[in-house]
Amino acid sequence: MSLIVAENLGKHYGSVVAVDSLNLKLDEGSVTGLIGPNGAGKTTTIKMILGLLKPDSGVVRVFGQDPWDNPDIRSMTGIVYEKAFFPAHQKTLEYLERVCRIYGVSESRAMEVLEAVDLGEATDREIRALSAGMLQKFAIAHALIHKPKLIVADEMTANLDPQARSGLLDLVLDLNKDEKVAFLLSSHILPELSMVCDSVAIINQGRVWASGKLTDLYEKYAVGIIRVSTDRPYELEPEVKKLKYVKNVDSDIRGISVTVVEGKEDDLYEDVLKLAKKIKAKILGIETGRASLQELYMLAIRQAIKEKERK
Amino acid sequence: MGKGKPFLEVLASAIHEDFRFPFLEIFAFLYTLGTFAMANFTAGVYSQIGTNETVAFTVTSSLIGFSILIFLILVFKNIAYGLGSELEKGIIQTYFSYPLKRRAILTAKLLSGIGVSLLLFLGIQISAFYIMAPDIVLPQFGTIVLTYAANLSYPLFLSAILLLLTLKLQRGGIGLVVGFVLYIAMSIVSGLALLVATSTKSPLVLQIMSLISPSYALQYHYGGLANVPTLSLPWTPTLTEATLYVVGSYVIVAALFILGYVYFSRRLNL
Repeated sequence: MSLIVAENLGKHYGSVVAVDSLNLKLDEGSVTGLIGPNGAGKTTTIKMILGLLKPDSGVVRVFGQDPWDNPDIRSMTGIVYEKAFFPAHQKTLEYLERVCRIYGVSESRAMEVLEAVDLGEATDREIRALSAGMLQKFAIAHALIHKPKLIVADEMTANLDPQARSGLLDLVLDLNKDEKVAFLLSSHILPELSMVCDSVAIINQGRVWASGKLTDLYEKYAVGIIRVSTDRPYELEPEVKKLKYVKNVDSDIRGISVTVVEGKEDDLYEDVLKLAKKIKAKILGIETGRASLQELYMLAIRQAIKEKERK
Repeated sequence: MGKGKPFLEVLASAIHEDFRFPFLEIFAFLYTLGTFAMANFTAGVYSQIGTNETVAFTVTSSLIGFSILIFLILVFKNIAYGLGSELEKGIIQTYFSYPLKRRAILTAKLLSGIGVSLLLFLGIQISAFYIMAPDIVLPQFGTIVLTYAANLSYPLFLSAILLLLTLKLQRGGIGLVVGFVLYIAMSIVSGLALLVATSTKSPLVLQIMSLISPSYALQYHYGGLANVPTLSLPWTPTLTEATLYVVGSYVIVAALFILGYVYFSRRLNL
């Protein structure tokens, strides 16, 4: 069963198109990442899914219902906004106990969720006295109060230190595994998402350019990725790009990632060694492997642009 | 799960924020000071004028005078600074994550922002009446209620306008400034209206003003303003007419609040 279905969703702000004919599905028990650069339309999409923004076109259904002003959906959904704000002058535990009463759950749940996000020591603090990271943790605790079946989180790990990020990702995995909680996680921190997501939707310029199970996407887009570690990646990149069978090259500080026509992997090994010799670069390693989510993302975007141009 | 409890919890949360220390204490003090100071001031005056009804109207109007300004400031703070800031910062988004209809959230905010302020205002005013002038409260109860209704209509009208502005702007500080500019502008307009009415001898401007602020209609009925003799005014409404203006003004206020509800429930994008 699909918990979220968005069909041909559109939203514009004046002349700026934020979301354009967006289609998205999130299945029960799935952890789906909504990935894309800043300004891609992730937050607008999430706001439409949460019933905070009315779409200009298309349809969105959450648990099969229209999310706009729909309390039934709220009692099954946990929400973590990109910037979390709560009534500032109330104490953390007191406020969460109030939220427990709102959802009709035992007040002891408030302490449970505070401890789950390592805020057990901050029960007496006013919300306004929390640091940005603590506030983010508090927002996550707030979203967990009523044991929702679906959690929608926009940049959930923003403001968290690496240890807290890691702890939170573990919490996502545990909730998904043990309580079958589905997640829609929006982020542009791709390595993090790749640790927890089983599906992704790649969004850019307000459209979903590729979506599905991560394994399927890797198969579709990332065949023949070869990673070359070198001390001079930026010099090697243009040389490799000249090779006729090379489809794409991306470089970073530690090397280059090359996509080649299927069956040409061995040719690349030989040619890379020759080119490295020519420019006096050291080759530290060559390996064929699965692309990172970042590479997958770049490939999917590029392919989608090519397809669009072809049409 | 009943729907009453989530609503009451959101209301309690809103009251907690709107009347946190020292706002409740300061405004309660100002209400008390204003009410009792005005009562002392008027105590000697009302015995010298007109009928029992006129006395009740004059005393009530005098008692209300200063406190209504405090009421207006408190309501403006709660709507523009309170609701506006919550819209701006995203606290309303948090409320929208609870299993409540949008209209229930707005009702909670308005009950806290306006309802509690009104209770505070009326509570102190009624206490003042019983302490300072018990002999005129019960015999002239109808006149007193009508005077309160007439005087409260205008601040509620301004509050409704401010609510609409706040929902549209979704900003706290700007809403507050715009609200006070609006109040001052309306005061100037009402002064000009009086001038126009007395110089042209046309009641139309006064009637329009009375629809927004029906205390004018009641004042003209009970003998005019202190600085403008009744005889120079081109319009002296009957009590029934004045009452109809009070009712009409509340119809306008209700329509504006309904507009706010419709916008909040159906159109407000966050």
